[in-house]
Amino acid sequence: MFDWSVITQNAHLFAWGLVVTLEYTVITCVLGLIIGLMIALVQLSPIKALRVVGRLFVEFFRNVPLLVWLLWSYYALPIFAGINISKQAAGILALSLYGGAYYAEILRAGIQSLDHGQADAAKALGMRSWQAMRRIILPQAFRQMIPPLAGQTIIQMKNTTLLSVLTVPDLLYQASYVSSFTYRPMEVYTVVGIIFLVILIPSNYLARRLEMNSQ
Amino acid sequence: MTRSPADATPLVEVSQVRKSYGSHEVLKGIDLTVYPGEVVALLGSSGSGKTTLLRCVNLLEHPSSGRIAIDGSPIFDRAADGHDNARIGGREVAAMRSRVGMVFQQFNLFPHMNVLANVMEGPRTVLGEDDASNRARALDLLAKVGMAEFADRMPGRLSGGQKQRVSIARALNMRPSLMLFDEPTSALDPELVGEVLNTMITLAREGMTMLVVTHELGFALEVATRVVFLDQGAICAQGTPQEVLLHPTNERVRTFVNRFHATAELMRPLLQT
Repeated sequence: MFDWSVITQNAHLFAWGLVVTLEYTVITCVLGLIIGLMIALVQLSPIKALRVVGRLFVEFFRNVPLLVWLLWSYYALPIFAGINISKQAAGILALSLYGGAYYAEILRAGIQSLDHGQADAAKALGMRSWQAMRRIILPQAFRQMIPPLAGQTIIQMKNTTLLSVLTVPDLLYQASYVSSFTYRPMEVYTVVGIIFLVILIPSNYLARRLEMNSQ
Repeated sequence: MTRSPADATPLVEVSQVRKSYGSHEVLKGIDLTVYPGEVVALLGSSGSGKTTLLRCVNLLEHPSSGRIAIDGSPIFDRAADGHDNARIGGREVAAMRSRVGMVFQQFNLFPHMNVLANVMEGPRTVLGEDDASNRARALDLLAKVGMAEFADRMPGRLSGGQKQRVSIARALNMRPSLMLFDEPTSALDPELVGEVLNTMITLAREGMTMLVVTHELGFALEVATRVVFLDQGAICAQGTPQEVLLHPTNERVRTFVNRFHATAELMRPLLQT
């Protein structure tokens, strides 16, 4: 009952879709981590106004459904800001900010969970707070944060499938395209699911290994 | 060595320092001056404010009011009404801390760096020192505290006493003119206390100026040039260790010292069986 020729004949479309998905995953993870780190530091700032801004940022993205935010970025943001934004840019912006809010929470918690004595010791040597952060706090916090960061990165990859609603030609978009002219959704979406499993199960395993090695 | 307070600039000048947490006043107007070469033991029961006072000296804790000067430079000056009489920035505070070493009760070694990297970290990051001279000095200091053969170990694989000796070397590598010790032996198993005290005694004999919060009355008696006794946030007695500890006139000090004698008395029958 499975007709695999549907897949083999359109393999190039799946391959191309996968490349696009991976591209968006890498870009939005890197940008998300940078945004997340900035927001985490803002949330830990001694200045109250900054902390409030950081808090609002996180709360906003944690409470708006990603799909809504994604569509809003593409359709409403250009009208509000009076700019034209490509679907690629809108997708990257929306996913990076969204992921950034979650990364920020992970990083903030990781930094705060670190023993106060570490910051004391760094300061007592004469380090400025940014030096203590770079040399002492972050290297240790990152190690503790490998599992949640890896988990968030995996969610981020899965979230890129939502880009297909903006007609970004990712794996899911290509799949629905193939399905639209072959009328074989069962084979097509089974393969999409398998591709994600094949990539993400080893990633999870790798993350767990990294975590064990760092302890 | 000579320890002549009269003709030297004080290394630490604390005056009228107060510190409150909410409505609880931990320090009630402390005046304390430490001259170069002095070894000052800060004693008192727990909750007397001695650790808070020590942490105020290098501004790990900010007083609610009062003045602090290190080596003649003011680093904190806040009036009782909360008005800052001097704007002292993060850069100045960091520069002051780089000349004041600190040793913590919980060691606070950096667990992601090996022993040698821990000792090299201060000069490397704070002073931007090149590796060769820093490394040579760090190895010398590790040899001095008896930890040379552990240079490549990670801190997690050291005993408490070893960790504390490394942390002393880490502080010394900044070439401080003053060392602060915050109950350096309180977290150690009894059999490891000696090795840390020995390191501190060597340092004191070399003329290092030290401010030591401790419960080791023996150390205070043998090594300190002056004992300062805190009770409920105020200095209630100070003087030579002999005066303060062996002939206490103050009721609080007498109770404190007697409690130690009493503990020893209680232990005696247990030790004889």
